[in-house]
Amino acid sequence: MSSDLLPILGISIWFIAKIFVVFAISLYVVFALVVVRQVQLMTDTLEVGFETEVRLLSFIHLLFAIAVLIFAIIVL
Amino acid sequence: MPDIFVNEVPEKKEEVFKKPETKEEVEELPGHSHSPLTSFCFYPDGIDFETRRKEEKIVLLMRKHIVTNVGWIIIAILMILAPLVLSKFPILEFLPGRFQFVAVLGWYLITTAFILEGFLDWFFNVYIVTNQRVVDIDFYNLIYKEVSDAKINKVQDVTYKMGGVIRTIFDYGDVFIQTAAEVPNFEFLAVPRPNVVAKILEDLITNGEKGLRVKIK
Repeated sequence: MSSDLLPILGISIWFIAKIFVVFAISLYVVFALVVVRQVQLMTDTLEVGFETEVRLLSFIHLLFAIAVLIFAIIVL
Repeated sequence: MPDIFVNEVPEKKEEVFKKPETKEEVEELPGHSHSPLTSFCFYPDGIDFETRRKEEKIVLLMRKHIVTNVGWIIIAILMILAPLVLSKFPILEFLPGRFQFVAVLGWYLITTAFILEGFLDWFFNVYIVTNQRVVDIDFYNLIYKEVSDAKINKVQDVTYKMGGVIRTIFDYGDVFIQTAAEVPNFEFLAVPRPNVVAKILEDLITNGEKGLRVKIK
């Protein structure tokens, strides 16, 4: 039996680790979504002529989080 | 007797203190800026906020002095460099390579959130003085905001505080506004030129926008 298998369940410990990592990154994606929404609300509250750039920043952050999530699902 | 040397007295340009009336005068104001990332702007152009009334005119827009960002920027740079430095030490060696890579990506996600939070916290924490009100827009963190305002005629007392080496060098400090409104105190923290801000507020309180007298170049 490989050393990275749990003796009772017969499941790889790295598989359980993967589930935890994917769950944590999923939570982060939700957080990134909240940030996008909050930035939208703030740019509605205050208009200073920099709204597009700030919204773009929050979207890049969200896309980065989604990309890491997909990468973690595939690679781990 | 002829003069051997005549010291020419340079013509002193007279400083004009008055309320800027024309667009040219607004453009010439020392604190006027067109940058959306400015931390101090007299009569800003193209700026609006949610609760502004049609007849309301923005006199002053302030944020914390740009120098106040240095702290989080240094931490962000250290966070960006941390994986490169830590790669010299076998901290994550017990993990398989793919987990190590995802851990580094996760670290950069957190770094991105930190940078975004630092920037948005500075960018959206804005203090606005209009010809009718004092408005404080607070962006406490990525999921909580607060907007409070008080009418200029409810303002009772304006004081400013400036101390410390950095604050003196970069000319920024705190302005405290005591009001008779529902929000008893407004704090404009780490704003540039606190003495000018206090003076403008006092002019507005005393005589309204007509009484505003600012230095024009």
